[in-house]
Parts: sequence; C-alpha cells; structure tokens
Amino acid sequence: MKRPFILILVSIFLLPLVVRPAIASEIWIFAIFGLGLNLLLGYTGLLSFGQSTFFGSAAYVAGWLLKFYGINAFLALGIGVGVGAASAALVGYLCVQRSGLYFIMLTFALNQLFYFTAYQWTSVTGGEDGMPGIPRPVLLGIDFKDPLVYYAFVSVLFLISLYAMKRIVESPLGKILQAIRENEIRAEAVGYNVPRFKLLAFIIGGAFSGLAGVLYAMLFGIVPLEAISFVFSGNVVFATLIGGSGSLYGPVIGSFVFIWLSESVSTLWARWPLLLGMAFVIVVLFLRGGIVEAWSRFWLWRSSKQKN
Amino acid sequence: MNKLSRRDILKMGAGAAAGLGFPAIIRAQSKEIVILGLWDATGAFADVGPINDRGMKMALEERGMQVLGRPIKYITRDGATQAGTSTRRTEEAVDGEGAKFVIGPWSSGVALAVSEVAKRKKVLHLFSGGTEDISGSRCHRYSFQWAASPYTAAKTVVDSFMKANPKAKRWHLLVADYAFGWSVEKYIKEVGKSHGLEFVGADRHPLGEREFSNYVQKAAANKPDVVAMINFGLDAVSGAREIFNFGLTPKIPLIMTWSSGVEELVQLSPEIRENIWVGSNFYYTADTPVAKAFVKSYQAKFGNPPGYAPSASYSMTRLLLAGFDKAKSAEVQDVIKALEGIEVNDIVGHMRMDAATHQNIRPYFFMRCKSKSAMKHATDFADIIATGDTPLPKEYGACKDIGGF
Amino acid sequence: MSFVAAQILNGIATGMLYALMGLGLSLITGILNIPNFAHGALFAVGAYLLASAANEIGNFWIALVVAPLGVALLGLAIEYVGIRRLYAVGHDYQLLFTFGLALILSESIILIWGPVGYSYLPPPILRGGLDLGFTFYPKYRLFVMVMAGLLVLVTWLFLEKTRYGAIMRAGIENKEMVSLLGIDIHKLFTVAFALGAYLAGIAGALTVPIRGVNPGMGVDMLGIAFVVVALGGLGNLLGAIAAGLIIGVAQALVAAYWTEASTVVIYAVMAAVLLVRPQGLFGIR
Repeated sequence: MKRPFILILVSIFLLPLVVRPAIASEIWIFAIFGLGLNLLLGYTGLLSFGQSTFFGSAAYVAGWLLKFYGINAFLALGIGVGVGAASAALVGYLCVQRSGLYFIMLTFALNQLFYFTAYQWTSVTGGEDGMPGIPRPVLLGIDFKDPLVYYAFVSVLFLISLYAMKRIVESPLGKILQAIRENEIRAEAVGYNVPRFKLLAFIIGGAFSGLAGVLYAMLFGIVPLEAISFVFSGNVVFATLIGGSGSLYGPVIGSFVFIWLSESVSTLWARWPLLLGMAFVIVVLFLRGGIVEAWSRFWLWRSSKQKN
Repeated sequence: MNKLSRRDILKMGAGAAAGLGFPAIIRAQSKEIVILGLWDATGAFADVGPINDRGMKMALEERGMQVLGRPIKYITRDGATQAGTSTRRTEEAVDGEGAKFVIGPWSSGVALAVSEVAKRKKVLHLFSGGTEDISGSRCHRYSFQWAASPYTAAKTVVDSFMKANPKAKRWHLLVADYAFGWSVEKYIKEVGKSHGLEFVGADRHPLGEREFSNYVQKAAANKPDVVAMINFGLDAVSGAREIFNFGLTPKIPLIMTWSSGVEELVQLSPEIRENIWVGSNFYYTADTPVAKAFVKSYQAKFGNPPGYAPSASYSMTRLLLAGFDKAKSAEVQDVIKALEGIEVNDIVGHMRMDAATHQNIRPYFFMRCKSKSAMKHATDFADIIATGDTPLPKEYGACKDIGGF
Repeated sequence: MSFVAAQILNGIATGMLYALMGLGLSLITGILNIPNFAHGALFAVGAYLLASAANEIGNFWIALVVAPLGVALLGLAIEYVGIRRLYAVGHDYQLLFTFGLALILSESIILIWGPVGYSYLPPPILRGGLDLGFTFYPKYRLFVMVMAGLLVLVTWLFLEKTRYGAIMRAGIENKEMVSLLGIDIHKLFTVAFALGAYLAGIAGALTVPIRGVNPGMGVDMLGIAFVVVALGGLGNLLGAIAAGLIIGVAQALVAAYWTEASTVVIYAVMAAVLLVRPQGLFGIR
C-alpha cells in the first residue's frame, strides 16, 4: 500500500480522538464532495462554481424520502447518487459547450436558479428554515444515532469513494479527461468527443456530490438552505485549491484543513473570515499547487539538503 | 525525533485540540453548569450577535457567574445566521463542552432548526421569537419562546394605532416573505377586521431585499392612509428609508410592526423617523424596576441604550436562572418543569411561561417616534404609548400537545 | 398607465446604478480576463469612504469626488501587489484570490466602521421629491440617474474617442497585438483595474443616501454585477449598460406584479439568455 493511503487510514482512526465525531464525519463527507469536484477541476480543467446544485438537490430529495417515507438508508444513498448524477447531467449538458469565464458564470447562474427555487418552494424545502427532522438510519440492527458509529459508516463510504475515484482517474477515461485539460484542441483532433467526455465528468462528479449531500443531511438531521447555495459551491472549490487540485489527495487534505480550521478558529475570533481571506491570498501568491505541492517541495528541499 | 511514543502523540493531539477549541478529551467538570449562547458573528445578523452576547453576559455577571452554588461556564458559538452552521455548532457544544442549556440564536428560521437539535439532544433551548411555530405547530418540551406571540404583537399594534388614528382605515402591508412575516400578517388582518380596516395592498418581498423603491412606488400608487411593514433588521431599515425618500412619511404614518427598536431606529436619521410608529418586544424607557436598573448599567458600560437584542438575551438568561432557582436543580428536565408556568417580574413587566405551549405571556410595546425637535438627546427616539399582552386565543393555537421528554 | 410608467422610470434609475457596476466589472473581466469577486467589496468600500468623508468634511460633494478616487487607489494597489502576478495562472486561483480579497475587505469594514450600518441623508438641495405628473419621485434618485448616465457616457466617450481608450478596447480584442505595438500591457491592465474599481467606488458612493451603509452591501451588489456582465457579454461595454437597464426595469416590473419573484427573475433572465445566446445579448465572442 502506498504512503498516502496509510496516512489517510491512520487519520481516520485518530481524528475522532482530536475533534468531535460530527466534525470528523463532516471532514470526510466534504472530502467526498471535493473528490467529485476535483474530477472536474483538477483532472478535466473545468472550474465549476455550482457544485452545491447537485449536493443540495440530492440532499433535498433523499431527505424528503427519508423523512416522509422512512426509506432504507442504502436506498436513500443510492437515490442521492442518482439525483446528483441526473442534476449534474442537466447542468452539464447546458454548460459543457462553454469555456473560460462563461463556463464559471453559467454554473454559478444555474446554481442561483436552483437556490432560489429551493428558497421559494417552502412547502417542500422549508425555505430559509431548512428541511429538518431527517432521521439517521438503523441498519442491520446497528443504530447510527451514535455519532461514532455514524462516523465509521461515513469513513467506510469515504474510503470506497476514494478507491473508486482512484480507479476512475487511472482508467482510460481519466487519461482522456487529463488530455482534454492539457490541450482541448488536440484531444478534439485526435478524435475524442470532448463535450461528451466533459459531460461524463460532470455526471460522475455530480454522483459523488449527491452521495456527500445525503450523508450530510443524515449527519445533521437537516437540509439547510445553504447546502444548495453558492457558499457551499465556493467552499468546496476553495478547500480543493487549498489542498491542491493537481492531486487525487488534494481535496481530501483541503477539506481536512478547511473544515477543521474554520470550525476551530471561528470559536476563537469572531472575525475569522478575515484570516480565511488572508489564507486564500497567501495560498494564491505563494503556495499555488496547494498543500500537496508545498509538502512535496518541502521533501524535495529536505532531501537535497541531506545529500549535501 | 522518531522516538515519540504513541502516548506522546496522543497527548500532543489532545493539547493541540484543546488549543484550537476542541477540548474533546478534557471533559467539562461535572460541577460546572455549561450554558451556550448561540450568537451570530457572521452572516445576516452579524451586527446583532455581539450585543446579544453583552446582555447574556450581564445577566450572568449579576449572579457572580454562578447559580445553586455552582459555577457557570458561559460559552458562545457563531451560528453564522445559517441553519446548517448553527445546528452543527450547537451539537458540537453539547457533545464537546457538555452544554445542556442553549440560548439563541437571533434568526427565527435558524432557531427552528436549533430547536430540533434541542429536542434530539434533550437540552433546554430558550429563544427570543419571530416565528409562531416553536410555541405552535412544532412545539415540544425542550424549547421555550421568550418574545411575545405574533398575535399579541399584532393585537397591540393594531389596537393602539387605531386608538390614536381612528380614521386611518386604508392599510398597505409590506411583508417579509417567510414564516415570521406570514404569521404576523395573518393576525394583523384578523385583528384588523374588528376595526373595519381595508387592506389596499399586501406585498411580499424576499428576505434580504435591498431595493425597496419598486415596492414603495407600488404602495404609493395605492394611496393608503398608513403603511405597515412586517419585516426585521436591515430589511426594515431599508424599507423605512425608501418610504421616506419617496415622500410617503412623514405625510402618512409608517408602522414597523415587529421592530428591534433601538437597533433599527439608530440606523435611521431623525428626519426619516418622523411619523414612524414602532411595535417592539422591548423599549428602553419601559417603566419597570428591572428595566431601569438594566438600562442604567448597560448605558454606563456601553454608552448607548439597549435595544431588543441585548434585552432579550438578558431577560432570557434571567428567566433560565430563575428556572434553576425554582427547580433547585440543574438537571434539564427539572429546570424545564420549573419553567413551565413560572411567573416573574422582569424587564418587560410581568411574564408567565405558558406550560401548555411554552409561549411567554408578556407585554408587547408600541411606540411613536419623536420629531427631531422633541428629542432630548441623540438616543431619545420614541415614547411608549401603549403596551398589550392579550395572549393568542385558544382557537388559533397550533400546539395541541407539547408532548413528553 | 402612470403606474407602469413610474415603475419603468424607477427601473431605469436603479438600472443605471447596475450599469455602472457592470461597466466596471466588464472592463476588468474583459481586459484582464479575471473573475473579480472583490467587485462588490470595492462597491462597499466606496460607500463607507463617502459616508466617512462626508461626515468628516461636512460636504457631500467633496466626499463624492474623494471617495471613488480612494477606491481607485485601492484598486491600483491591489492590481500592483496581487493580481499582476496572476495573469498566467488559471481562473481557479484568480477566483480564490479575489474571493479572499473580498473577505478581507468586508471584514476590515466591520473592524473599522463596526457591524451596525447607518443612514446618510442626501445634501439639502437634493432632499424631497418632484411631482413628475405621473408620479412623485425623489430628487436624489433623479440626480443619481443623471449622474450615473453621465458617468457611463464619459466612460464610453473615453473608450471610444480617446487614443488610450482605443488601446483599451484593442486590449479586450487582442492582447498580443497590443503588446506587439509596443504598448506596455501591464500598465494597461493596471489602469483598467483602477478604472473598474473607480466605477464600483462611485456606484457605492452614489448609493449611500439611498440605501445607507452596512457591511453586507457589497455581497448584495456582487451577484447583480455578475449578472449584468454575463447578460451584456464579457467585455462588451455597451452590452453592460444595456443589461444593467434591462435588469433594473425587469426587476421593477416583476416587483409590481409578482413581488416574491423579483430576485429570482434576475437569475432566470440570465440563465435563459446564456442558454440561447451563450455570448450574452451583445457579446461577439
């Protein structure tokens, strides 16, 4: 097994000792969300500023079914994945033809459209108040109300997602997506149907977002309106960039840092967004490539010193 | 460097965690009573959280930070005026810090979400008001509402205003488009029937609207005798400002039905405030001994009079402490039982917590703003012209069964 | 009928402000090709600077000159220190940077001026309103309409009729060519960003007597500015002006008949237009 994988496994075991299980769970849920985005951002070169569309839609649909029909948790997760993929197919279909700033703006605009729909459709979504009362499942006689049990459940799903994403990016599909990122025109010239592959990346990313959305709803027992807002879309982009979009593990590390720091610093200083903003600026000016790259540069620097 | 034992690493982790505000391993001492103030420092109510915090702190410091001979540990979390963040941080404080008593947050929608957490985590939750659901359709044993019922507010405002302006029968309503706005609107129309009011318009605006000119022009076109706004915070401030800009006030009166009082009025200039009538859960000239003492020490500390926000958190904290005293226990269920039916004289006057609905039965205030020339000092905004405490009639009550623990 | 006319007039007045915001953002996105998420924060800084300056100096008109210049200077500094280094990197890092900047600016506003907003009345000569026959309208709003219109016109003339403006437009069309002509493209970028910041700042300053100041005012405006730019076409200055007016009037008319939808309509219009005409209403690319 490779070192990053072992590191992740170790942190899965150590994390609940250090932070609350709810926050620990959130970190891995957010990491799943980030994995989905990074297929678009890091591997295909598409900056989607509307990922919460899929996260939120899945959370609302699965949350509704869990709440009023008490469906099985696995079914809820499956439906979440499906809704995430379907909404991503819709948004992706409308967006993949565009590029650059237009692409970003269109994903953002469609996100706003979904947001305001959820905001106005109070009879279903609860609008501002959110959709509360989403039960956590009881599966095979195990009660997931215990935060640690639920944490274990989330961790397993995260590991599966990570493995699946690893397989995807290492597959021929992943190579094609990277070729599109490197040079879209060449990929087109070689004979790949670029928009179709972009759409496929969207759908897969949406499926991951959907999974994360349902897990999030079950974790906190509520689908808050912000789950479908551009704030969430932004957060997942920022977390991924902080971690480093160039690597499979970037979004994982990013969500770890982003959630942990924003949760802990916010209890220390009310004006913590100021520090967050500074962190963004510093990352952009000095640490492009994110933590993953900074880390590998550090090792490079260390080993070069040792040789001397 | 590589010789660190597992135990050392764990210790370091715990130390770092405590330093970063996650004392997961260091459990709260059992002797301490941990009370959480969920006050927004970011988001739509970023301006309110810090003054909520002031009021709560003052109430706790009055008692020397202890009750029943046990020390009180006061912790706060930033709910960011968002349901997700607020519920998450509440759970974290309950699990991690051992908080069993939660006060806040300021937004009624977010408070509803936090109320669900309180129910699930079995902790006591006190919150100010705005929605009728917590003491209505979504009532349960763990949440209490301090502010007046929307019905009490509507009744006080309409009755008192009509007494002063019997001829102003044509009303135009401007309503924030969410649960709070709808419920007050419903009761204003209901109470309005007995006065023969004609509602020439009732427009709903999205929460967080900043461009009110369109609504105001529409209101002007209806030629009403009075405009009544049912919105809160910046929405109310923006609306009042635009109603003045378009020349409606001071020619015709404007009613701010459910205002935060000082916090909103201070953002309007004296010219804008002319002929504005204000309904609020508290105004600092309230003629009660508790209010007088509170206002005096608040002004000495912060230089300006307290509005609804610090007063609510102050009074809620006092109510909770009164619950401890009555229960002679810091167990959640004992305190809840003590609070049910409790009667106290507090800053707003006489308060009684209705056991069946967990709705505070208490006076609501109605003020008229002073003209610039009549103001004696910079914060002499208004005079209280009436109070009212008619509780919600039984037939409207949606809380049929408050349930068990 | 007079009611509809009044709503349209009002839509134009608000739309002019939107156009001013959109014009600045369009200039920045068009020439620098970056998504400027700090544009709303610059708007807020302009508003706060005006309110402070007007209170300090006691004269609204001097403050109206000074405040936007302050924002332009801030823009100059931001471009010089940060954005200049980001032209070669992807939109993702540009976005992260400008978003971080927006956080820093809006939090600094809270730290400097406090979390509670306040009102500022128009100068005495512009208080009250005029009876236009079909409606009563505040003098100050009419002033803003004229002022914003003039600013838009001056900016337009500058870009169309002056040599430097021509270079800027060329910069939107083809950056390589501008560089080949021996023009310092970096200087062009700096000036463009400062000009865009100036327009955001003066839009903020002009808004103060209407909306007062509060720390969240920038975020409220940012979304609209983006819609205006996307609707008008990236880098299309005439398009930004038209889109600003369209959004303003659409919002006013929807608010007249279906008030709840007045926010949704902005984004619905934008999404619909982008789907049919991805380059925006007036975009060519």
